[in-house]
Amino acid sequence: MTSIHGSLPQHTRTTTNQSYSNGQPGAANPRASLSSFPSSRSASQMSHSSRPSRSPQPPIAADTDRTSDPSSRSNKTSSAGSRTGASSQHSSLSAPKRYNPDAQSPRRLRSQYPRGSIDNHVEYILVASFDIDRGPVMEHQYPVAITGDEHMLAELMLPDQAHVRNQDWTIFFLHKDTSQEEDEEEAKAKAERRRRRKRRKDRAAGLIPDDDDEEPDEDSEDDEDNDDDEWDDESTDSEPEGGEGPPLIYVLNLVNTKQDKTVKRGAVVKAMAICTRHPFLHIYKPLLLLALEEYFKSPVPETLAMLYDAVNGMDLSLMPKLSLLERHLLLASDNKDLFVEKFAQMIEMRMAEDQKELSQPNDAGKSMLKAQEISRAGTRAHLQGSPGYSIPRDTHEFESKVLYKGIPIPVKVPTAVMPETVGDFSLIKLIQTFSDPHAKSPLPFPVHPHLTTNGPNTHPVIVLANALLTQKRIIFLGHNMPSGDVAEAVLAACALASGGLLRGFTRHAFPYTDLTKIDDLLKVPGFIAGVTNPTFENHPRMSTPITEGLIYFQQQNPAFANLLGGPTTTATTDLTGDMVFMGDILKSIVARRGERAIRAKWRDWVLKFTRIAAAFEENVYGASALYIGGDEYEHVTGAGGHGYVWADDAAKQKELAGNDLAQVYTIRPLKGLDLHHLHDRLRSQKLNPAQSRDVYMAFAKYVHSYDEICLLLTVAPESHAGLFYLALGLFHKDKDVRVKTAHLLERVSDHMAGQHWWRGLSRFEKLAYHRIKREAEAEMKLKLEKEGLGPEVEKRVS
Amino acid sequence: MGGQLSKMMGKIFGSKEMRLLMLGLDAAGKTTILYKLKLGQDVTTIPTVGFNVETVTYKNVKFNVWDVGGQDKIRPLWRHYFSGTQGLIFVIDSADRARIDEAKQELHRIINDREMKDSLLLVFANKQDIKEGRSPRPFPLTWSNSKGLPRRSPTQPSAVWGRHGMMLTMIPTTAMKPQEVTDALELNKLKDKVWYVVPSCATTGEGLLEGLAWLSNNVKAPPAPAKK
Repeated sequence: MTSIHGSLPQHTRTTTNQSYSNGQPGAANPRASLSSFPSSRSASQMSHSSRPSRSPQPPIAADTDRTSDPSSRSNKTSSAGSRTGASSQHSSLSAPKRYNPDAQSPRRLRSQYPRGSIDNHVEYILVASFDIDRGPVMEHQYPVAITGDEHMLAELMLPDQAHVRNQDWTIFFLHKDTSQEEDEEEAKAKAERRRRRKRRKDRAAGLIPDDDDEEPDEDSEDDEDNDDDEWDDESTDSEPEGGEGPPLIYVLNLVNTKQDKTVKRGAVVKAMAICTRHPFLHIYKPLLLLALEEYFKSPVPETLAMLYDAVNGMDLSLMPKLSLLERHLLLASDNKDLFVEKFAQMIEMRMAEDQKELSQPNDAGKSMLKAQEISRAGTRAHLQGSPGYSIPRDTHEFESKVLYKGIPIPVKVPTAVMPETVGDFSLIKLIQTFSDPHAKSPLPFPVHPHLTTNGPNTHPVIVLANALLTQKRIIFLGHNMPSGDVAEAVLAACALASGGLLRGFTRHAFPYTDLTKIDDLLKVPGFIAGVTNPTFENHPRMSTPITEGLIYFQQQNPAFANLLGGPTTTATTDLTGDMVFMGDILKSIVARRGERAIRAKWRDWVLKFTRIAAAFEENVYGASALYIGGDEYEHVTGAGGHGYVWADDAAKQKELAGNDLAQVYTIRPLKGLDLHHLHDRLRSQKLNPAQSRDVYMAFAKYVHSYDEICLLLTVAPESHAGLFYLALGLFHKDKDVRVKTAHLLERVSDHMAGQHWWRGLSRFEKLAYHRIKREAEAEMKLKLEKEGLGPEVEKRVS
Repeated sequence: MGGQLSKMMGKIFGSKEMRLLMLGLDAAGKTTILYKLKLGQDVTTIPTVGFNVETVTYKNVKFNVWDVGGQDKIRPLWRHYFSGTQGLIFVIDSADRARIDEAKQELHRIINDREMKDSLLLVFANKQDIKEGRSPRPFPLTWSNSKGLPRRSPTQPSAVWGRHGMMLTMIPTTAMKPQEVTDALELNKLKDKVWYVVPSCATTGEGLLEGLAWLSNNVKAPPAPAKK
């Protein structure tokens, strides 16, 4: 019941029957613990950044071996066999000795969802029905009742107009408030809860055979301690995930309406929901379909228990945990092999564990380790039935299965999920939803300085993004649309505005909500909500001054038709570049570039926005909260500066004027040196040799560690020419720049992810690299220097 | 009458749109009325989860009719639909004497709301065709199969205009008659309220159009411009 992954310790809150506030200011209602509303926040809270920035590991000691030959290393990639050989040295959990410490993450490889974790994938299963006499009622909750307003939950589970369609999905979030005082009680309650859960589990096992029970069964306190230790450990090397408060509980709900002439009033409407803290709640869709069908046949708690046990039996323990940067890289890349080493390593670690369990402590025979095969899913070796572990065929997805009623249901869990990405949605669909009507007959928006950055005919998607970024109140109204579609649009909008960089959108998102929540909704200063009831539109509370800036997006009715009084001059100037950007996006959609490409483009847009905001704040206020620089880097000649790079000063002024936006919230940049800024300079400015020398030298000097190289790769994505601009340093007129660049590229090629970038380099550049290497080595020999010291000497010189 | 009415309406209000809100206890027949008006046929309805909304055009007036589910747990939601309502259609099951008091309480709660003070009140005393109290059978089936032949009865005071302008008279049943309904709902206690009770039968359509005509004839102010 605690949060599962990637959370700081303060996020590992638990859900108990204890009291929480329901998120309303001053509401001392001890009963309501889970609410569909976040606790009230001040307007500035979203932009808070009181948490110290967590930079990646500081550059590790410079005297590491940096002389390995990239070409030899880069072979060890795609074939599982050679990997097994190469990395068997890592198969010990305790102290992996690495060939090149910067080639791999300094963090201990761990599972996103370790075996034996006390945290369940799914925390609750709920069933509600529409009682023909009373209305929405909760029928069953398993394993225990969620405290809080059960009626509120039942209402959300039975969305408006569920009676007009046979099936509908909804998604909603539950917020939990945890105050400091509750923490201690919680810790105490946790032990008790674990005992209770075990008892429940036993009870459930009595009712339904439980075939996959790897839950730690001990009631003992030591077990509890172990647990805490694990979390402490976790927190030391993982990045902050949540940002604000405890993680949300995501609820995926399926509602079915079955016409039945034999029952009074001719129909039965029932809904079943899965409550989880996993952002990938969509993987449970096939299971909900089966389980709700089953529940229509046997409406008893055991049906819920069966689903609960099945989904919690899902094994994701071989899914490696990726850092934020690694996830960035994976999401932006189409490469199906990226970080495949981590998957292999997980398996090796598991096989070693298995060995330990089999043959007792001393010397788990290496020969036996080899006996078990690792094969790539989908490959021939895999199909020919080695029963062992398999590496996913695409590292973007982890394949597992849920055994429900004896049927294995395959599930694909996304391995890299960015913050603010919840569920399965399509940015393309969202963009098209608003673009198509706009393209046919643009409905001008009332002019608002935050929103209509291109005048009244600003593209609706840009208006949406601006509205999210400036904390407006946004309602997606999809009358006659399935509530699932509306919810998906809200989730897509959150991801759109976040770009995986900015946070806080899902916390103020209500993917589906209804009239019963309208009063609570209005207490939230900025939100995005999905509704299907057009009453929201003419609700009096929605047009009071408090809701100024409330924006409706809807498909059917041109909501803005009679709103415009402003100038109708078509904005011919595109100061922000957003029109060009949207044009590019739409072109990419038409060209079927795919969801990943569109998401990457939006991430760039959000990144650009934050960088412009940083530059703007610096220009206007003299400092920017968006840039948390390490001053120690600033003295580097020519490598200072951060934020967006404009081709010339005039362009800068134009664009800054176009983006009159000051309210931004963001996570902090990870490093003191703005690699993006430097790389942009290489890309878009004409630098004289001295300037470019500074940039290349800065890269060479500061990019060493695993994370630093990851960061470098994120600023030079494969879709944007990859290492091309960096590799141009191989042709710099100064020899030391060429050599330094070669060293940098060598480090990149050694890197677990960088090797793929290296392979993407042009032959021309690779040849140059080898030439420089050869020359350097020849010189080195001449000087009779020891090879291992070479780089360090150079480093001192620089 | 048609031409006259539309001329008259043209005079009375500039915009020929009217927002109507149809409420009542669960299973009173609201959704059946809505779709009888909209489609001209009686459809098998199931309990309304949330609401239905349809636009019905009659005599050149566009009626936006909102039909909101009536189960007791969702009655608190009714108030959200009040704003901008020009006519309340309150539907009662005339055969359900057991719940007429409950209906009365709900009705008074609605029309005492500040947002409803300018709204007309039309009561459909529905299910006039039921002869033996509340039918235990599923009501859509009962309704579609139970068209009683109207029998002329000159003494019956509740004469209404049928769909084709014919004079129809309801047969005496155990369903409450308009006067009974008026008394049971205590409509005479209402001050400053324009109200009207029409005996109706949703499945045959009896009374429905008369109700709409009464609403459009009695609406005073032009509808407030739709707020966005």
